[in-house]
Amino acid sequence: MASYLEIRRFRDDHIIWVSRNHLQLNQLHDEIIQRVISVSVKQTEKFFGSPPCPFTFFMMGSAGRFEQSIWSDQDHGIIYQQQGDSIYEYFMVLGKEISQGLQLAGYAYCDGAVMASNPLWCKSLSEWRQQLVNWSFNSNWESIRHLLIFIDGRSLYGEASFLENLKTEVYQIIHKECLFNKILNNTLYLKKGLGVLGQILVETHGPHTGSLNIKEKALFPYVNAVRLLAIKGNILETSTISRLEKLSQIELPSIKGEIYKQQFIKLLNYRLSLSKPDNYENSHFLPISTLSKKQKEEVKEILRNGMALYRYVKNLIEKEDT
Amino acid sequence: MDTIFLMNSLWVMVGAVLVILMIGGFILLETGSTRMKNAGHIAGKTILTFGISSIVFWAVGYGLIFGKGNPLIGLSDFFYSGYDIEGLALSGSVFFLFQLAFAGISLTIAFGGFAERAKLGAYLVFAVLFSVIVYPPIAHWIWGGGWLADHGKQDFAGSTVVHLTGAMAAFAATLILKPRIGKYNKDGSANNLAGHNQVFTALSVLLLWVGWFGFNAGSTVSVDAAFFGFVAVNTNLAAGAGVIAAMIISWIVLGKADVPMMLNGALAGLVAITASCAFVDTWAAVLIGFIAGFLVFYSIRFFESKGIDDPIAALSVHGAAGIWGTLSTGFFATPELATVGEPGLFYGGGLHQLGVQALGVVSSGAFAFIVSFILLTIMKALMNGLRVTEEEEIIGLDLSEHGSYGYPEMVKTEMSIISSDSKLKA
Repeated sequence: MASYLEIRRFRDDHIIWVSRNHLQLNQLHDEIIQRVISVSVKQTEKFFGSPPCPFTFFMMGSAGRFEQSIWSDQDHGIIYQQQGDSIYEYFMVLGKEISQGLQLAGYAYCDGAVMASNPLWCKSLSEWRQQLVNWSFNSNWESIRHLLIFIDGRSLYGEASFLENLKTEVYQIIHKECLFNKILNNTLYLKKGLGVLGQILVETHGPHTGSLNIKEKALFPYVNAVRLLAIKGNILETSTISRLEKLSQIELPSIKGEIYKQQFIKLLNYRLSLSKPDNYENSHFLPISTLSKKQKEEVKEILRNGMALYRYVKNLIEKEDT
Repeated sequence: MDTIFLMNSLWVMVGAVLVILMIGGFILLETGSTRMKNAGHIAGKTILTFGISSIVFWAVGYGLIFGKGNPLIGLSDFFYSGYDIEGLALSGSVFFLFQLAFAGISLTIAFGGFAERAKLGAYLVFAVLFSVIVYPPIAHWIWGGGWLADHGKQDFAGSTVVHLTGAMAAFAATLILKPRIGKYNKDGSANNLAGHNQVFTALSVLLLWVGWFGFNAGSTVSVDAAFFGFVAVNTNLAAGAGVIAAMIISWIVLGKADVPMMLNGALAGLVAITASCAFVDTWAAVLIGFIAGFLVFYSIRFFESKGIDDPIAALSVHGAAGIWGTLSTGFFATPELATVGEPGLFYGGGLHQLGVQALGVVSSGAFAFIVSFILLTIMKALMNGLRVTEEEEIIGLDLSEHGSYGYPEMVKTEMSIISSDSKLKA
């Protein structure tokens, strides 16, 4: 694979065939991203030599959770083993190279600059450790948000253990400092998907008039609630489905867990099969008027369950807090 | 001099002042509900057109409404010179000023339909034409002893005369001017061109709410039995019910208590009670306001979905609620309070009064709409269009019509955000 644009062509050729299949689509995304990383590593080696020490490159956000739709922006970071100015400079160059490569391959830059080209997300193991401790102990809104982003991290290249060890340490701090309530508050703002009469609340204005914002109203309640449960259960998995599978009875009764898992899978399929995925923004909107009566009921069920799951987690945390 | 005469005059003078202050309410309402780049223009033109309306009212408007003539139009008392008016228990000039204020409000409502896209020249010409040809005939029919007054039409303070007339002219204008740039997408879906200042809009509602005590309670034109107090109570109740109803319905349907919608609910309640405030019981006032709050919510959504761009919801707040308010006396007017016309349907009056009210709504509404539409069409032909150019609309009417922004520093930042925003999305 010689260049990013070739990878882009590979993406365009293949993605259409898996665009309706959640698992295959995300496997393809992983493959594309890994190809980009390989090219970037080779490019950097060509000018600056081989990496000065072992490292890992990890994805966060929807890619980290293995939940990308067709279009996605990039959220990622680098952890490298040893500290040092020249080492730092090397991995910053690599981080920038990968960001550019991903952009050329069809992944938009992250608005919030959660990218390995940002010093905040490209650090040595010990600096990362310090930063995570700081984030935990500062525990203000922004630092908790950073922690949550980090917890969705999944290694795609290099020494995966670097990331796993850090995540384990973060979980320990969260348990010890009892940050659950803070985490809950960080993700408490939910946009309502259902009105008091049980109707689906769609966009009333703009190009998506009549569509449901799946990302904010349907996905977020599941993702945020299950992440919180995963932290409680010390589960390092990042995808919402595998987190749900691994949760023990203590965090979530398995009957409920199974229901939520099925609902979430249905939701991911709806997103892929019914939204108009011609760009990043459109892939998050579900045109309700095109749904059959049965489909509408299913969407309502998904939204109801998402809210129920969210309420369940909220009660769980608040009960423990008192 | 007769004490009652003096007290009547004083009370109505207070009313006139309150109604003229409502112009200030409309300035805040219109600017708050529209974008920054047009704020100076909207504020300035509102004062300017009230000035024009005042002069025209003095010259011919008053005479066309209250002069001696026929059932269709008055034809005397032009260029009013301050004399007392036969048969009135208050100062003639106070009465004149009070009526002048109403004419100004109706015109201001009409200009809601022009907002953010009409040329300044269109405002100036239509201010004169509306004040001579549209408003006075309707006011004469109902208040000046014209043919609808003979039928016993109940419109205490002007749900029809002032609000519906203004709204129908606004309707004609929105149809002729077409939607603002960026209001609708290619697929017909509407964008929310959000107003730039909800605090202005909320303050405008308070100012209008208080002003309405002049509008409605002042329309007793006397202190007799302190009846104005009762009228003011009804007015306040309807406004309160309107805001609550609009909040409830927007919460039920949209899942959130939409602020502009709540504010429109209060105004709709006020507009609706304007016709009926002196004719109905307090519980009916609450109900009338409440229904108006619901009505305005659905009306706004209806017009928007039909591709009619009504930036400050004049058609819904003054039109739909004005029609409902006028019809409401046909249901709720009590035998004791119906000093004009007959009691309503719920008081054994049968369908008679409802029919009269409906006749008033249809004839006045149709007249205002048709005449305004014709006048604006002629103006459009003679004035080389009523609308500013696309470029002028985008840079804002503050700059294109007046040469300076109402918020010079702010708009420049806003414009740079807009241009960088479009780059991002491209």
